[in-house]
Amino acid sequence: MQKLTLKAGIGMMVALGTAGSLALANDMRSETRLDIAPGGTINVLNSAGSVSLHSGSGHQVLVVATSHSIKIEIDQDTTPDKKRVEILTHAKPEQKPTTEEARVDFEIAVPAGISVIVNTATAPITVDGLSGEMISLSADTGQISVHNVSKAHVHIRSVAAPVTLSAISGGHVEITTAGGAVQLTNVSGPLVNVGTAGGNITFQGDLSGGGAYTLTTHSGAIDVTLPETASFDLSARSVSGAVQNDFPLQQKAHTSFVAKPGSSFTGTSLSGSCSVELQSFSGRIRVKKQ
Amino acid sequence: MNCHKFQEVLPYIIETGGDAEEEGHLQTCPHCAELVQDLKYIATQAKLLLPMHDPSPRVWTGIAQALHHQGTIPEGRTSLRGQIMSFPSQAKSWTPMGWALVAVFLMVFSLLLINYRPHLPESQSSAQNMSAQPVALESDDQQLMARVSQRAPDVRQAYEDSLREVNTYITDAQQAVDQDPEDAVAREQLLDAYQQKEMLYEMATARTLP
Repeated sequence: MQKLTLKAGIGMMVALGTAGSLALANDMRSETRLDIAPGGTINVLNSAGSVSLHSGSGHQVLVVATSHSIKIEIDQDTTPDKKRVEILTHAKPEQKPTTEEARVDFEIAVPAGISVIVNTATAPITVDGLSGEMISLSADTGQISVHNVSKAHVHIRSVAAPVTLSAISGGHVEITTAGGAVQLTNVSGPLVNVGTAGGNITFQGDLSGGGAYTLTTHSGAIDVTLPETASFDLSARSVSGAVQNDFPLQQKAHTSFVAKPGSSFTGTSLSGSCSVELQSFSGRIRVKKQ
Repeated sequence: MNCHKFQEVLPYIIETGGDAEEEGHLQTCPHCAELVQDLKYIATQAKLLLPMHDPSPRVWTGIAQALHHQGTIPEGRTSLRGQIMSFPSQAKSWTPMGWALVAVFLMVFSLLLINYRPHLPESQSSAQNMSAQPVALESDDQQLMARVSQRAPDVRQAYEDSLREVNTYITDAQQAVDQDPEDAVAREQLLDAYQQKEMLYEMATARTLP
């Protein structure tokens, strides 16, 4: 019995090893350097797999691509004026790759000051440490994560992809998602605007530097966690959800709606240097102290 | 009298106040009372647009004939024409802007009457009792779904779920605006809901992902 078990175990290991080798054999890794002019834009279009962008140096975009099938082709090109780099994946003619075969994983090093536009379907998008004027990300279902970005306009659109932002400052942040949850940690700027139909919104930060924050959801919940020292002018309303607030607020003289206990509140904390609007239809809203 | 019958003779009621039976229904049905109030409000606002000018009888005659032709005014209900025709003619001249404003108002008013679907009391709902069930996909949405039919199954499902969610959002926000047109937050939410739908359409159609 013991011998039989041993043989079965060895057989499984051999089978797994063979399958792994075959999978690795199909993986194709390429490394490309593309010239880009200061202030230029990188445009990435990739359906499945992943797209990861991080800060690079010099005046070249370094693209490391890993594809998993010969049915997929990767086009990478620079315009003659070097203002724009195009990176896109597509099926080869007469080929119909499966979802798994269509996957391409990109690791892209982006020089300072370069804007990026990324569109994916299921591929998650990760952005870390970029400093271009604009970061525009769009995904159907692939998770979108942006970290350590300052003075860039961050525009995000998703169908159902969850969105996570952290350490973002100094630029406009606009997020529109139909079903994705949105999580913001230490996100500040002159304008932060989040709209979602069904997703929850979580905000944790200090609202430093003033600005206008608008978080709107239809059926999702809104959770806002702020330090006791945060200075803000707050209005919150949920049509049929509950609202909770831990901060002592000074009542405002004028409001855009009549506050009703339990479903809405308005008021000012400290000097009210930031404007915060929280709106939900059926989701609950909670503003709590850190 | 029920809501349906009441709303069939709404133009007559707006003009004359209705007969005793209609007046009685108006007293007991808050929904129809609200509708009449809204229509009277529109009519009042339209008058403010033209404080100095009344159209010639020819215009009112044309409207009455058009409403009769469409069947909006039942046979035998002539008060609209009667009321209208009894307006004294004015010697004041009409400016092109005046004509344009009247035309716009009449178009809006006619569309409101023609497209209005009676809401019977049992189906009445409010923003406080929002749609618990997702709203069905509209025909345009079906076309959108056909467009994303080649995408991965989970992506297709995400689009369908999102469209339903956004449609529900639009319905709820529209109800809130209807209940209180002065509610700035509700108007913002309606705009936000439509922007989300616009985004879904753009993402489904504008991109050429393989």
